[in-house]
Amino acid sequence: MSNSYQIKQKIKEIVTSVFLILLIAGLCFSILYPLLKLVPTIFSRIEDLGNPNVIWLPQKFSITSFKAAARFVMPAGILTLVKTVLYAALIMLIQVFFSAMVGYAMARVKFVFSKIAYFLVVLVFLVPRQSLLLAQYIFFKHFDFLGIMNVFTSRGEVDLIDNPVTLVLLAVFGFGVNQSLFIFLFAQFFRNIPKELEEAAGIDGCGFIRTYFRIMIPNAIPIISTVSILAFVWNYADIYYTNYFYSDAGLMSTLLSKTFVGANKTYVLNAVQTWFGIPAVNDFAFDAVKQAGVLIYLIPLLIVYLIGQRKLVQNMENSGLVG
Amino acid sequence: MKKLKMTRNMRRNLYGLLFLSPFFIGFIMFFLIPIIRTVFYSFQSVSVGANGGMEFTASGFKNYVNLFKSEVTTDSKTLTELFANQNMNMLTSVPLITVFSLFMALLANRQFRGRAFVRMIFFLPIILGLPLVTDMLAMTTGSELTETGGGLFSESFVSVLLLNYTGIPLRVLTPIMGYVDNIFDLISHAGVQTLIYLTALQSISPSLYEVARIEGATAYETFWKVTIPSIMHIILFVVVYTIVELFLESQIAEEVYSFAFEQNKIGIGSALSVVYILNVLFVLIVVVLILGKVARRYE
Repeated sequence: MSNSYQIKQKIKEIVTSVFLILLIAGLCFSILYPLLKLVPTIFSRIEDLGNPNVIWLPQKFSITSFKAAARFVMPAGILTLVKTVLYAALIMLIQVFFSAMVGYAMARVKFVFSKIAYFLVVLVFLVPRQSLLLAQYIFFKHFDFLGIMNVFTSRGEVDLIDNPVTLVLLAVFGFGVNQSLFIFLFAQFFRNIPKELEEAAGIDGCGFIRTYFRIMIPNAIPIISTVSILAFVWNYADIYYTNYFYSDAGLMSTLLSKTFVGANKTYVLNAVQTWFGIPAVNDFAFDAVKQAGVLIYLIPLLIVYLIGQRKLVQNMENSGLVG
Repeated sequence: MKKLKMTRNMRRNLYGLLFLSPFFIGFIMFFLIPIIRTVFYSFQSVSVGANGGMEFTASGFKNYVNLFKSEVTTDSKTLTELFANQNMNMLTSVPLITVFSLFMALLANRQFRGRAFVRMIFFLPIILGLPLVTDMLAMTTGSELTETGGGLFSESFVSVLLLNYTGIPLRVLTPIMGYVDNIFDLISHAGVQTLIYLTALQSISPSLYEVARIEGATAYETFWKVTIPSIMHIILFVVVYTIVELFLESQIAEEVYSFAFEQNKIGIGSALSVVYILNVLFVLIVVVLILGKVARRYE
């Protein structure tokens, strides 16, 4: 009797686990599919593209697509890549530094301004930031905040468009890419830190600033690394801010989004044809070069992700968002 | 003693204000001024003046009327159509993303061998779902090779079987396949949501599950009576995040850029921005009011 029950249980277990394995494998496949789908296209010879017989394996292996893509998205060679990574890293550092400060004051200093700040941060998060970019553009084009620019120029205003300062200013004052979300995450984290920690520091004679940098920041490493990863990824991939405020910076993201638009197709195809002396190219070559470009662009992101993702889940647990 | 305490509190508040000041300055410069100006521009017709500056003449609601009456998007649809599509899209996408990312988080939360590897892939959409990446990975050619075009499911073996060897008419199959394709597409856009859910699931106290087990609750009951109530506020957060995210990725933002910079219609672009903001806030208020009621009943 008990034996047949055990067998039943065993069968049930096996069926469930097979079902789950299939489900998980299917989901993984559907996530990876956009990347897998690229393989036959980008490793084919450009002449072979569009051949309906080729689905998963290229007929002849070639990296011409990559060479072409590299010339489009990395005009200065590896320097373009380095520049883009450095840009994202710089904005990330500024965003983390200032978001943490604001988040800390919002969560730990109990006075009317922290309540106002809380309300405003949520409001800023909810209003789509792209709806304000146009007015921000005009604001930066004729930058004369509170008349202080009279001191520096005779015109009373400066043009901050296509000037890297603009993107730095936005990050310093809490309005970079998704920064209200970062401030919110920091505030939620600091809210859950026990009060005793601060009080002990106060008794030991630490002032506000020292308590913050010596006690709070070291305790906030998990949330700092989470926000850093997200900030790096989102700044690296941002095209809205860079296109509006610094479109000729020569970053990979803007080059990618500007080169491979439909209107540019003939230009791209002609360039590929002359560069590599290929007699005839069809529309498929455009996709191949474009996708090779994305793959080059994704490499730094994937490296950051592979290093950081294991920590990401671990860290979010302590982030206080779920508390 | 009292005096000392007060001054210490005041000093603390002063430092607090110092820490908050970057955000407050930024709020005025990059949010308040732009939003006031956007509303202002939307009621003006803007032209380029003699000395290169901008000149404004009040035009009342003309921009708004033109926006919906005569202006068209870059793919020559009316703006009414654009907003209708966007909101209809939200109606299906938000519930699908909310439910599927929870489902994926539940899977990733199970104990099994190779879990670290599966998690690594499950969160890959944080990168692969970035708007720039999805835009660039999309095929612009080749859809003529498959009849229904694009999509993981409609290109798959199963759909070929369904199309060729079952008697189900194409008229019925095509919308269903489109729907399934849409699900696959949405899964790969829900990286951050899955991450948020997973951390929420892990923060549920194991003792709750133990009590449920001792009381003899089935897995189904445990899910609805323990898991869901514990993460109700996170579900609300995910819904809000998803709505904000979908609106950010929507075509409306590109149209603002096109009106302002390619067609030189700053007034129209501003009017579109104002409608865009109002649309987002309206949807959010409705959703939060409804879901807030549901959540309160659950908690």
